[in-house]
Amino acid sequence: MPYTAVTTGSRATELFEQYQSDLHQRTDRLFAGLLGFQWIAGILFALWISPLAWSGAVSRTHVHVWAAIVLGGIINLFPAALGVLRPGRLSTRFTIGVAQMLMGALLIHLTGGRIETHFHVFGSLAFLAFYRDWRVLIPATIVVALDHMVRGFFWPQSVYGVFVASQWRWLEHAAWVIFEDVFLVMSCVRGLAEMRQTAERTAALEQEVRTRQQAENDARELASLASAVGLALTRGTDPRAMLQQCAEALVEHLDGGLARIWTLNDSDRMLELQASAGTHTALDGPQAKVPVGVLPVGMIALHRTPLLARADQVDPHLDDAGWARREGIVAFAGYPLLVDSKLIGVMTTFSRREFSPSVQDAMAAVADSIAVGIERKRAEAELKSRAKDLEEAHEIQRANAQQLSGLVDQLRITQRQAEAATRAKSDFLASMSHELRTPLNAIILYSELLQEEAADQGQQGSISDLQKIQSAGKHLLELINDILDLSKIEAGKMSLSVETFDIKTMIDELLDTAAPLVQKNNNRLSVRCHESLGTMDADLTKTRQILLNLLSNAGKFTRDGAITLDVRQMAVAGRSYVEFAVTDTGVGMTQAQTEKIFEAFTQADVTTTRKYGGTGLGLALVSRFCQLMGGSVAVESRPGEGARFVVCLPLSGHERAIDVTEPARVA
Amino acid sequence: MNKYWFGAVAIVWLGLAAVGLAGLWQYDNAPGEAANAPSAWPSHTHLTRATHAPTLVMLAHPQCTCTRASLGELEELLARTEVRPKTYVVFLKPATFGEGWEHTDLWRTAKRLPNVSVVRDDDGVEARSFGAATSGQTLLYDQAGALQFSGGITGSRAHAGDNAGRQSLLALLDGGRPARSGTNVFGCPLFTSGR
Repeated sequence: MPYTAVTTGSRATELFEQYQSDLHQRTDRLFAGLLGFQWIAGILFALWISPLAWSGAVSRTHVHVWAAIVLGGIINLFPAALGVLRPGRLSTRFTIGVAQMLMGALLIHLTGGRIETHFHVFGSLAFLAFYRDWRVLIPATIVVALDHMVRGFFWPQSVYGVFVASQWRWLEHAAWVIFEDVFLVMSCVRGLAEMRQTAERTAALEQEVRTRQQAENDARELASLASAVGLALTRGTDPRAMLQQCAEALVEHLDGGLARIWTLNDSDRMLELQASAGTHTALDGPQAKVPVGVLPVGMIALHRTPLLARADQVDPHLDDAGWARREGIVAFAGYPLLVDSKLIGVMTTFSRREFSPSVQDAMAAVADSIAVGIERKRAEAELKSRAKDLEEAHEIQRANAQQLSGLVDQLRITQRQAEAATRAKSDFLASMSHELRTPLNAIILYSELLQEEAADQGQQGSISDLQKIQSAGKHLLELINDILDLSKIEAGKMSLSVETFDIKTMIDELLDTAAPLVQKNNNRLSVRCHESLGTMDADLTKTRQILLNLLSNAGKFTRDGAITLDVRQMAVAGRSYVEFAVTDTGVGMTQAQTEKIFEAFTQADVTTTRKYGGTGLGLALVSRFCQLMGGSVAVESRPGEGARFVVCLPLSGHERAIDVTEPARVA
Repeated sequence: MNKYWFGAVAIVWLGLAAVGLAGLWQYDNAPGEAANAPSAWPSHTHLTRATHAPTLVMLAHPQCTCTRASLGELEELLARTEVRPKTYVVFLKPATFGEGWEHTDLWRTAKRLPNVSVVRDDDGVEARSFGAATSGQTLLYDQAGALQFSGGITGSRAHAGDNAGRQSLLALLDGGRPARSGTNVFGCPLFTSGR
């Protein structure tokens, strides 16, 4: 981008001098033609006025003709040649001025001193004013004055038309010439002033055009710079090659002598040269590593502000003191490379021309772009590294997934086998229970009959044994029934028989059955409920079994205590429930015991069955039934402080789709 | 072009121009052969002398361009003088030239002058009678036929303007005293040398 700093004033002077020179040259050429024309005209004039001189009957060419040819040639041709060969020179103008006056003298001679011919002198002076150089009038006027002075002294009649004249009369004639000169000088001065005004206007116009062109060129170059940097930043793969292309773009588009880019190393204390374009391209020179805060580059990094300076004020540290002068470098600009106020590096440019404000803005934008580009490259590298790690992790995960899939398949097979085994077990249990109940019922019935017969026959000793048989049979039948119910639930064959019943009536009927069970350990049973509890939609048999199991359990683990059944309606999340709470003052349980109390075949501890009896299936069935009916059961207990079982069943009894294989939660 | 070379050429140029102009000046101021005019009106002339007024005779070459100035001065003279002389302008006609050779613009100019008689001088008879040798030779005889003035009435060759000849003739015609009774004649020779 060419750059010329031309002031309007100096350009106006240059144009003015050019105009003057052009005018002088044009006028010289004009006079060259005029002089030639004068020569020819003089000859023709002589041939017309006095072609021949006679001596009697003999004639010869008149001396005036020869004078017009020879003397006219001498007077005219030399200045005419100067006008052609050396136009524009002051000596040429002076010679032409003198020649015009000499030609005037010759013409006056040739015309016999006619007064009209004297107008040639005045015309010539006016013509000489075409030069707009009043100095030309000086030699011409001197020639006229000298001619009049000399001839006035020797032959006044030839110039003044009188026989006797004063020897100072030439001054009068010279004064008339000077009189004309005054006007011509004024004309020349005014013409020069107008010419200077024209030059100034033209210079101003040129300056404006040049400024606009410069701005357009700058804009074009800056657009190219932005494009080149953008391409380098987006297409470059290697960070160092990318920065080198950016530096080369700075040199190319900013008339730069040297452009360099440093990046801050990991320690944040050292700038490392990454790219260098222009007169020095080596990256291992004296400025390959610059500490932050040292040299102009380091100061830019330290203060994080741009630095603009004359090139000779910034030591390029290139071991070459005359480098900037020799390369025509005049300006230096350095910019910090910042991303979100984080220093990435420094960009510097030495240029052969001053940096205009628009160029400074463009360089700041380029610095920002380069900073972002560097940061992006770093992020890409990190991303690539992480992607590689991720790929490896993905591979491992894929292997694990395959392994897991195999395990899941294996698990499914196992689950299917387990389910099949469970079904087989349930079927077996159901089948076995059914098969066992028949003889058991027979045993119980016959033991009861035998007891009656023994009582009738007075065989009191056998009654006790028969009672034990009957009791064992009933316990076994109870156990079988529980196992059968549990098997049905686990096999998904347990169904509900939902009906609408009055809760209070159900409680009252239940107490008839439960009271003996509760009170056998000298316990007190109390019921607390509202008289009008209303009805509920549920499986009445299973509801009764749930409450009977809980009351039976409470009576079993409580001696000389109190057992309370609290019944109330409640609403949870917009739904209505019936809460049955069985509270006892029995032995209570530990936290660990409560956590597994609802599991099948599980009691508080291993001694419980031995000490208190029971199958260990009662609470498991309670839990399964509650879930089957869309309710829940919870227990609160502490060792020695009794227990409180709370059953919640939906009032409407429509929530049935519950997985009953899971035990109830402990509250 | 070297500055010194130019200076030298310019000086030579100025010198040549000055010499040329001086030579031309010299030529213009070189008088012709003076007349050997008879002190009394010649007896064998065909011209008639006036007895009640002076008689002015100008002998001229019809092809001489220098004589145009002499005719101009004659017109000036006749216009200024209070005493009108009997005036002849005698144009030479050599025998070698045919009829009408003498009818030049000078002839026509002279013919237009008032009270001027234009006479053809075949083969220079009249010129010889008056002893004239140069075109423009002007002679003034008084009423008695005595020669009062003999010379030219131009200051130089073909140069119009104030001159001693015209002033002297004016003085003589107006009864004054002339500064000079004879002046140089500037014009073409009336006769070929050696003839």
